[in-house]
Formats: sequence, structure tokens, C-alpha cells
Amino acid sequence: MITRRGFLKAGGLAVFGIGLGGVPNFVAQAAAQIKAPGLFKRRKTLVCIFQRGAMDGLMAVTPFTDEHLRAARPTLFMSAAKASPGKPLIDLDGKFGLHPSMAGFANVFKEGRLGIVHGIGSPNKTRSHFDAQDYMESGTPFNKGTSSGWLNRAVGLLGHDTATPFQAVSLTSSLPRSFYGDNPTLALSNLSDFNIQVKGNPAGANMASQSFEDLYDQTAQGLLKETSKDSFEAMNVLKKLDTKNYVPANNARYPNSALGNSLKQIAQLIKMDVGLEVAFAESGGWDTHFNQGTDTGIFARNVNDLSESIMAFWTDMGTLQDDVTVMTMTEFGRTVKQNGTGGTDHGRASCNFILGNDVLGGKVHGKMDALAPENLEDGRDLAVTTDFRSVFSEVADKHLNINKDGVLFPEWDGQHIGVMRT
Amino acid sequence: MRSIVKYFYSPFLALTLLLCLSSFLADKSGPITQAYRKAGLTDREAALHLLNRFTFGATTSDIDNLVKIGADKWFAEQLKANYPDKELQERLAAYDAINLSNQQVNQKFPRAPQVLRQAIKEGHIHKDSINKTDKKAYREMLNSYMAQKGYRPQQELYRQFISQKILRATYSQNQLQEVLTDFWFNHFNVSLTKNDCAMYIPAYERDVIRPNVFGKFSNLLLATAKSPAMLFFLDNFTSVGNNQEKAQATKQNNKPNALGKVAQPKKAKGLNENYAREVMELHTLGVDGGYTQEDVTQAARVLTGWTIYPAITFDGGGNAMKKLEQLSPSTLEKRGFVREGDFWFTPNRHDNGIKIVLGHKFNGGGYQEGVALLEMLAHHPSTAKFICHKLAVRFVSDNPPQKLVDNMVKTFNSKDGSITAILQTMVADPQFWTKEALGEKTKSPFELAISAARALDADVLQPYQLYTWINKMGQKIYAYQAPTGFPDRAQYWINTGALLNRMNFGLAIASGKIKGVKVDLAALNNNHEPESSEAALATYGNIILPERDLSKTIERLTPLLTAPDLAEKVSKAASKNTAETGDDSLDMDTMVPKIKAKANKPKPAFASNAMLAQVVGVIIGAPEFQKR
Repeated sequence: MITRRGFLKAGGLAVFGIGLGGVPNFVAQAAAQIKAPGLFKRRKTLVCIFQRGAMDGLMAVTPFTDEHLRAARPTLFMSAAKASPGKPLIDLDGKFGLHPSMAGFANVFKEGRLGIVHGIGSPNKTRSHFDAQDYMESGTPFNKGTSSGWLNRAVGLLGHDTATPFQAVSLTSSLPRSFYGDNPTLALSNLSDFNIQVKGNPAGANMASQSFEDLYDQTAQGLLKETSKDSFEAMNVLKKLDTKNYVPANNARYPNSALGNSLKQIAQLIKMDVGLEVAFAESGGWDTHFNQGTDTGIFARNVNDLSESIMAFWTDMGTLQDDVTVMTMTEFGRTVKQNGTGGTDHGRASCNFILGNDVLGGKVHGKMDALAPENLEDGRDLAVTTDFRSVFSEVADKHLNINKDGVLFPEWDGQHIGVMRT
Repeated sequence: MRSIVKYFYSPFLALTLLLCLSSFLADKSGPITQAYRKAGLTDREAALHLLNRFTFGATTSDIDNLVKIGADKWFAEQLKANYPDKELQERLAAYDAINLSNQQVNQKFPRAPQVLRQAIKEGHIHKDSINKTDKKAYREMLNSYMAQKGYRPQQELYRQFISQKILRATYSQNQLQEVLTDFWFNHFNVSLTKNDCAMYIPAYERDVIRPNVFGKFSNLLLATAKSPAMLFFLDNFTSVGNNQEKAQATKQNNKPNALGKVAQPKKAKGLNENYAREVMELHTLGVDGGYTQEDVTQAARVLTGWTIYPAITFDGGGNAMKKLEQLSPSTLEKRGFVREGDFWFTPNRHDNGIKIVLGHKFNGGGYQEGVALLEMLAHHPSTAKFICHKLAVRFVSDNPPQKLVDNMVKTFNSKDGSITAILQTMVADPQFWTKEALGEKTKSPFELAISAARALDADVLQPYQLYTWINKMGQKIYAYQAPTGFPDRAQYWINTGALLNRMNFGLAIASGKIKGVKVDLAALNNNHEPESSEAALATYGNIILPERDLSKTIERLTPLLTAPDLAEKVSKAASKNTAETGDDSLDMDTMVPKIKAKANKPKPAFASNAMLAQVVGVIIGAPEFQKR
């Protein structure tokens, strides 16, 4: 039995062509094959997108027949009526309307591939961005001490040993809280930068690379040592792949935004067959306290970027669509009432989007009562009617074929609500 | 009788005094020295630790100097922060935008939409041409208008601002002041990513943060609360009391109030909770500091009317200023207006009803009740704990000893939140000096870059080039979007991608590949050329990482650098690799066929400057150098 580490370590050495003594021939050969497609088995990939700053779910997917909302948002409320000023909402089911800047989502919703959950949120009432993100990403809304993130635990539950260092990748400049933990995960912001480089001196780069790998392995401790192992493993795989000349399939056009670039690189990794199973990306700018706008403005730009990026990814996936599910998440929602400055303050529930061929789409899941003051949480916010853990676990269970919610979300024993097809 | 006694004793007294004094001078043992000796550190170990904690990087000469003057005196001098910094000032002289007031910034570096609006108004650009004309032509039109008006692009302001931070950190002799400025800026974080607030950030750091870093915490809190940068970043500039809104609506129906629209840069109609929440969660009490959602809303009401002085904006305040100027200062004062620099309290936007925050009642006290609220928050027991813990995380370790924090809290409470006093308590505590804390902090990318520049005595002519690297390593300085500021813990900085970039940074700076950052490796060793790569490792290891045990590092690297046929092997592997992967990992100038020449004629491993740069680059990218 060759361990994962042992295998790749050998592979790394083979690439350098030095220090090969004692490495079995077949391992060296296998390492040399890294370039060939299919070295790592293609499996299903779950793509999670965290919308940091708390998305106003009531503006993304508006219960446009609700008179209380209309009254609470004199300048922010949008209607589905064609005659309304500005672009109208896209009527989904007679009750909910999709923000017009997310028109890209309309088709996949109709096709039954895009599901929406409204009233989703955390049972912990904190309205602090930092705490709420922390709770959502650790997956333990009442325990700050949890050291691991829920996606890291999901990786641990996949139940198969794999040699790839790319099992879980976050396209961010720092490792997200969701990825903290014992299972190896990667953070990288740019695939083509993921290398040891010395301008104009590749020989030097190789020597330095060798020095660093050995040095970190032998003299570093803890975090530096563990991280460096993952870095070099991944680097040695990427070295053999063409990361620079990626052309998305089916004329998919990614927005030139942080999220667009992240999703493009996730698509790239999936197609390179590096064994990606859990991917993570971020989208920012959702903390709209001030002038959030309606059919144009900050919020409109944000949801446009979100939906266009996701749809570009979906188009790019083409025949691989069966293998991917995309899920968005945000730490909480925003006040039902607009604030004094054309924006909304920190609230409770929001909504999220799930896209995939296994999703029970074409439906707004969850439960939302009329937004009368007596139905609001603390008299001001959209009430949380669906625990985020219910949705996250159902999507992860079904798509990744894992089945231990007690590990994924300890302290939670609720029910799934049926966002995925059975 | 008396005089006899005096005569008799005085020589003895003088002698005793002299003896005491000389022994005191000899061992220079103030509380800091006593503390580290008690913890079992040598003078040099202690010097390194102090420099690692309170500067942006230690060199051998820094250690020599600190040992010479003594830890206590060194720390006292740093707290005074009055070194003239001639070299730094010379380097900063080229940056003309960093000394501008907020008003000047508004007028010299206006935001693009403002310029556009003005250009249309003055008929320079036709409104309908904006979408029709192609982008290039439109930009040219705007540029020529800006040049004609003497306006400069905002990006230039930010480049200068970022550059000055890098230069100050690298060259200031008042290192502690810069370290604390970095700390408190991050604590009261504002971000260039927010357009409305960005242009006020240079003045924020210069006038609000830096002058207050040694003072009382409450002063710092109050100064940030009143700064345009913070007022914009957390939206308080526009927050209006709800009752005020109604009151005004009825008033305006009868008789228009001359001051009704004063200082309202955008349509503002009501309460905004953003600042009120973050001031409790992030600036003072901490998220578990014992406040509720209701406290947040009530505090927001207390702080309504806190905004910016209209005259500092691009249009000089427009009509609002015209109306204001009609009133005499005494009239304004009588009506409760308060102006302090760029800050403006306008009572007609203030909620003068009763509010209760954390059990304290605030009753229509205008500007003063906001001050009272912030004072209360600054002196709250939760604040003392929260701030002292955060300071200890920055200056001791990611998990500081609780007892040390408790001692700092005592000082916070007894010395009215004096930052200087808290730091003195911390450093004079043996728990600051435990072996577990030595070298335990992981450098942020900024700290890494600056410490490398300092260790290599680099001549930083284009600081912005360093910024590009700092950004690549995961710290986009001045641009952390959330009000939390950058997290201060190793796990945030160290990840797979960032770590490779740290190594690449080491190689780049050592080999002089960072444009405008000149490094003279030979001069670092007084132009003595090391005889072998082994010697180079030892020599440069000690220069870059003084007072560190590098035996393990040297042991690991030596065989790699000295293997007789290594150069050839590596070159061959590399050329093969290059052939297979193209220029995949490399920049354009890789094409230059240097490889073959080397492969054909392997010199003794150490003969070239490139090899020396390589050795130094590896040291900077090594695990040891990532810590401080």
C-alpha cells in the first residue's frame, strides 16, 4: 500500500529527476504519467460560494405580493408588474420574483435545475458578520470553539482514499474557515502563479524549489510544515498541466470579477481531472447599508455578477453538468424595513441558490409568512424558518454521497426539506 | 553640631550614591531588563525579542545598538518616538499628496463621477456622448478636462499613500510608532475598497491614528468616531434621527428651515445602525461584551447628527455652506452645532429623544451625549479585556497567557486606558518573555516584505513594487473590506498558495528581480566574497537571521548546495522540464538561453552571484524567516 503522501512525494522527486534512489520503478512511471488525463478518478464536485457581507434575500428573491414589504421599503421595493418603473422582477411562481439583474437564472429555474431556499439562516441570532460567518462555516452555530470547518469535515466523510492534493480547493487568497481542519485542503488565488519561480532562471527555480521542499519538511513545524507539504504536492501536479491557456467551452463568458475568475479556475481544475471534489469561492460587497439601489445600483451589480459567474460556469461545464452542484450561502439577511439611508441593516434570514441536475429546482423552498410585524423575528427581520444545516447537509449528502450528518453538523438532528431529488 | 555631622557624613553619602549610580548604570537594569533576566534570557536574546515584537525587522546592528543602550532605555526612546528620521523624510519628499488635508484631496483628486458631472455642467463633455463615443475617445476627453483643471487621478493618491506606509515601516527610526499605527489602523479598520470613504483614508492614518497611538484609548476612539474616513466607512455620516425626520417634515410644511439640508451629501432620511454596532463589537466591548440588538439601535440614535463638515467636499459644500455661512459662529453654537476640523455635528439631524444604552440613559444632550456614550464604551470593563487581549495577541503570541492579559487589564483600568502604560506593563512582565513566545508570531506578508528589505538593507526606490508582492502573498494593505481588519493569527496568513508566494518573494528580492528595490548582497558582508556556498549559508544566515540557531537549516541546505554535480543535474532536469512545459511557470525573459551555458560548464557551485542570490533567497523564504 502506497500512502498518499508517499506516492506524491516520490512523484515530486521524479519530476526533479534527482534523489531517486530507492523509489520503486512503477511509482516513478506513475508519476511520469501525471500529465496524462484520468490519473485521478473524476468524481462529483460540490462548489460552494460564500456571499460575504449578508445578502438581502428579500431583494434577490422578492415576495412581491406582500403588502407589508411594499410598505416597509418605500424606495427599495420592486414589483413584477410590467408597468412598474425600472425593470420588473422576473415572476417565478406568482409569489416570488427574481431580481431582473439575475435574468441568467430564469431559464435554469424553469428547467428545474435551480432551486431557491427562502427563509434560510442560522438558529443563532447574532447579527455580527464575523460571528455569523464563523458559525456558518464551522457548522456549529452555538459553539465558537469548533476548530474545523464543515467542508473540511465533508472531505473527511468522502470515504475514499485519494492521492490527489486537489480534493478540496478554495480559490481565495486565504484559507476560508469552512476549510479549516485535519483533512488536507488548498487555497490558491491564481493557478498559473502556483509555482516556485525565478525570473529568467528556471534552473535556479528548480534548485530553490528542491531546497524549500526539503527545508520545510525537515526544519519547519506545525502549520508551516503541513501547509508546505500540500503546497509542493499540488505544485508538482500542476507543473505537468497547462494552466495558462484555458479556453472555456460552449462560448461561456465569465465576468472579469473575483468570482468569475474563481469559478473559471474551478472549471479548469475539474476538466484537468485533478480529483477536485469540494471547491470554494467568495463574493463580496453584500453589506448594503447605504443606497443599495433597485434594478440598478450596487445590489443589482452584485447579483448580476453572481448569476452571470455561476451561469458561465454552468455553460462551461457542458457535458459535465451532472458532476457538479453549485450552492450559495450568506451569513444572514437584512432588515425588512429599509433604513434611513437607502439601504438595509443586519437582519436574520436570507435566501440561497442551488444549481445542479440533482436539485429539485424550479421551486422556492422553505416557508415564508406574510411580513406583518408580528411574524418578524425581533419585530424587524425575516424569520429563519429553515436551518442552514438542513440544506447544506442535504446538498452535500446527495451530491457527494456522504451520510453522516452527525459528523458534518454535530449538535444538529433536524430534517432535510427536500431540495434535492431523491 | 549640625554642620559637623554634615561634614562627617557627606563624603560617605556621596560615595555610596556614586557606587549605587555606577552599578545602576552598568547593568541598566530597569523593570524590562529585570523581567527578561527573571525569565532566563540573555541580553542579546532579549534584544532580538524586543525588536521582533516592536519593529518591522531586526538586524545585527539593531541588536548591538539595543544591547548597548539597554532594553529599558530603548523602549522608553521608542515610546517617545522623537527621532528626527532624516533619511525617511528625504525619501518621503517625493510624495506630494500624502500631506494634503481632506479638503485639498477632494479638490485635487476628485472622484471620477464628480469630475464627469462638472465636465458636463461646464459643457466640456456632452451628456449624450458618454455612451455613444467609444471608450478611448471618451477617456481622452475626460483626461484632457482633468489636466486642464489640474485634477489628478485618485489612483495616484492611493499609490503615494501605500508607498509611504512601506517607506515608513522600512526606514523610520521610530519603529514602535509605525508598528502601533499599523495595529490601531487595523483595529479601527477602514478600507480603500469603499469608494465614498477611500479619499479620506490618508488623512485618517496621518491625523487620527498616528498622533494618538501612545495616548489614551478613549482619545483614539473619539478621534476615529469623528473622522470622515470612519463616518463614511461605517455610514454614520448619513444617519438621521427618526423623530427628527418627522419633526422636520412638519416644520418644513410651515416654514422652510434654513438649516434643514445642511451637511446632507446624499439624501438622508433616517437611522443607520452600522457604526453603532461595529463600535461595540469591534472597537470596544467585543462581540461577547454584553450588548444586545436593542443597545445597537439605541446607540445609533445617540450618534445621529455626527457627520462631516460640508465645506471639505468637492463642491465646497454647495448651498449647504452658503446657508451656513450666513449664520454667525455664536448662533451656530447656540443652536448646538459643533465643528472640529472636518467633523460636524448637526443638531437638526440628531435624535433628541430618550435612549438607553447598556443601562445608561441619554437624554437629548446633542453632541455631548455621543461623546458620553463613547467615553462610557471606552471605560467599560469588557473593553479593557478586549483591547488588552488583542494587544497581547499582537505583541506576545497568538494565544497569550491569560495572567499577562489580566495584568494589562489592571493597568488599563488604573491608568485610564493609557496605551503607553499598558505596553509598559506588558513588557515588564516575565510572561512577556517566556521561551514559548520567542519567535512564535508568524509574520504577516507586510511584515515579511519589510523585514526582508530591512535585513538586506535594500534601497527601496519604488515601494509600490513591494506592495504588489505583499498583495500577492495575501495582504492587500488598506483594502481589507470588512471592518474587522486583518485577522492576527498564523492560520490566516499561511496557506498553500500564500506560502509558495512567500518563497518566490524571497527569491525575487534577493536576486534583485523586484523593480526599484535595490539589493547589494556583497556590501552586506562588507564586500567579502564567501568562499563556498557553505560559507555563504553561514555568513548570510547570520546576517539575515541574527541570534537564531540555524544549524538545522544549514545542515539541510548544505548538501543541496554543495553536491559536486548538482548544478549540472539541476540544470539538466530544468531544461528538460522547460522543454516539456514551455514557459509555463516563467516570465518572458526566460527565453534567454542561459541554461545550456551553465549545464555545459558547471562552475564550482558557488562562483556566481546568482548562486549567492539563490542562497539568500532561500533563507528569506525559509521557515525561520516567516516567524518573528
